[in-house]
Amino acid sequence: MSTAVKNELRVCMLSVKYNIMREMLNKVTFLTNILFMALNNATFIVQWVILFSLREDIGGYALRDVMLLWGLAASTFGLAHILFARAFSLPDLIINGKLDAYLVLPKNVLLSVLTSQTSVSAIGDLLYGLVILCVFSLSIGRFFLFVLFTVTGAVIYTAFALLMGSLSFWFVRAEMFAGHMTSSMVSFATYPDGIFKGAVKFLLYLVIPVGMAIYQPVHIMMDFNAGRLLAVLGYTLLLSAAAVFVFYRGLRRYSSSNLMEARG
Amino acid sequence: MNVIEAENLSKTFRVKRKEKGLQGSLKAIFHPQTEAVHAVDRISFTVEEGEMLAFIGPNGAGKSTTIKMLTGILYPDDGAVKVLGIDPSKKRKQLAYQIGTVFGQKEQLWTHLTPYDNFRFFGAIYDLPDAEAEARIRELSEIFELDAFINTPVRSLSLGQRIRCELAASLIHKPRVLFLDEPTIGLDPVVKENIRSLIKQMNKELHTTIFLTSHDVGDIEKLCKRIVIVNNGKIVLDDSMTHLKYHYLNKKIVELKLHEEAVLPQLAGITVLKQNGGHVKLEVDTGIMKINDALRHIDAENMVDINISNIPLENIIMEIYKAEGSSLKRGPLDGNHLKKEGL
Repeated sequence: MSTAVKNELRVCMLSVKYNIMREMLNKVTFLTNILFMALNNATFIVQWVILFSLREDIGGYALRDVMLLWGLAASTFGLAHILFARAFSLPDLIINGKLDAYLVLPKNVLLSVLTSQTSVSAIGDLLYGLVILCVFSLSIGRFFLFVLFTVTGAVIYTAFALLMGSLSFWFVRAEMFAGHMTSSMVSFATYPDGIFKGAVKFLLYLVIPVGMAIYQPVHIMMDFNAGRLLAVLGYTLLLSAAAVFVFYRGLRRYSSSNLMEARG
Repeated sequence: MNVIEAENLSKTFRVKRKEKGLQGSLKAIFHPQTEAVHAVDRISFTVEEGEMLAFIGPNGAGKSTTIKMLTGILYPDDGAVKVLGIDPSKKRKQLAYQIGTVFGQKEQLWTHLTPYDNFRFFGAIYDLPDAEAEARIRELSEIFELDAFINTPVRSLSLGQRIRCELAASLIHKPRVLFLDEPTIGLDPVVKENIRSLIKQMNKELHTTIFLTSHDVGDIEKLCKRIVIVNNGKIVLDDSMTHLKYHYLNKKIVELKLHEEAVLPQLAGITVLKQNGGHVKLEVDTGIMKINDALRHIDAENMVDINISNIPLENIIMEIYKAEGSSLKRGPLDGNHLKKEGL
């Protein structure tokens, strides 16, 4: 690994560490945020247990599969918001000219921006996902796949937020559209893909990337398929490259403002 | 050697325009209208190594946009810019290793961390090895007298202490050019003076080029030898501070306290600004009449007190802001633009 890459990663890790340290200033709030997020997610288990007491199969999923889906969705969301929370508020940085602080530093702008904020409650999501995996469908192979797909899912989710957020470089008020698109990804990620048909399914694979972030990984964990695994990895790389390209194209249109906040 | 070279630098923003009221908002949805605003309009200047330059102008003049193009934050629409021989829009990261920025109104430090931890973070950003970062922190701590609070979280520091830390953090990598934007804003006079002497010291000892923007005339007067004034995106004046003062300070304010009200002479070169009983305020144009000659026209026996002062630099700058730019640039300054308001 080159020194430049090592230094980039060192600064990113320091940034995440300092973000978490900031959140830990108030220990009670820090711990309750994590705990209540995990509990909030857990309430949905009750909903699914009731639904599966009425039907054995929902969209081709059993209770164990839905829990796996939920676990992966939660851990994916969690990891993305622990490491790259700023991707989800990118329009605010663009519209209010808050990218200046990152542009005067000799580091990769995108990485510096993405890692400049951390959501503490997302730690609860990540832990919840891992607990769900352990409780409902633990095996060594599945654990490693789960970790891999948490990473690819978090990258896809962040890249999608980055793509949508970057629209603010071109369009005024694009932040609402970006917000709807990224939150719809979370909403769809918690339902079995078997219940969606036709145009909606097309939407979930080609417009909102929940298909490759969550559905395919769950299918691979349920029934391993190397071809599908490669497709997920390839898609992750492609979407990330597209998001980075669009962000840097947009950055050329960045018009700044008289605000400067780096760590707010 | 020039460290900054800008030639015909231009930046235009497209600003949305809409008619007033709800009807205007609805109309703007279907027929959006934009207007081109020339924030920076073909400006050219150079800055030499080790120079301390005041780059000033009223709000919206284009100074921030210029600085942002010099630091690589914004891409110019036209023209060329080189800072330390590097094109900021093409090699922003490479340039960032050699320049520093301090924005008085904007925090760059992590407030929950101590200055020491912040300096270590900035050391990592500029790829300083641990030993070098430690040595640099010790050095800066000594120069800026940070020892007493280097391990106190930034959020608990006074504004003056914080600005000193901001300055120190921006110098961790020994930048060759330092961009200072309102470095003394909100500080009390003692701390302001302290910060100014630190900046001077930095310029003297490290030969750091200082590019300063400030609305504080004290900063400009006490730090800079050269002043560039921008207005409406154009440079309206680029001159040495000495030259500026010499050409503009040909008018003196004479304040007199007289025993009893007197009839003042109506002469060319003397303008009565204010007369209230025995209190009189005159403006004497020394280009037309010497102060000595002007005073001869006032009865010395009737005089209780006298005060002669220069027109404040603030008023000179304000007047230049108002004046038409092109006629002032590098031209002879006769001071006749000065008006009486505010004197």
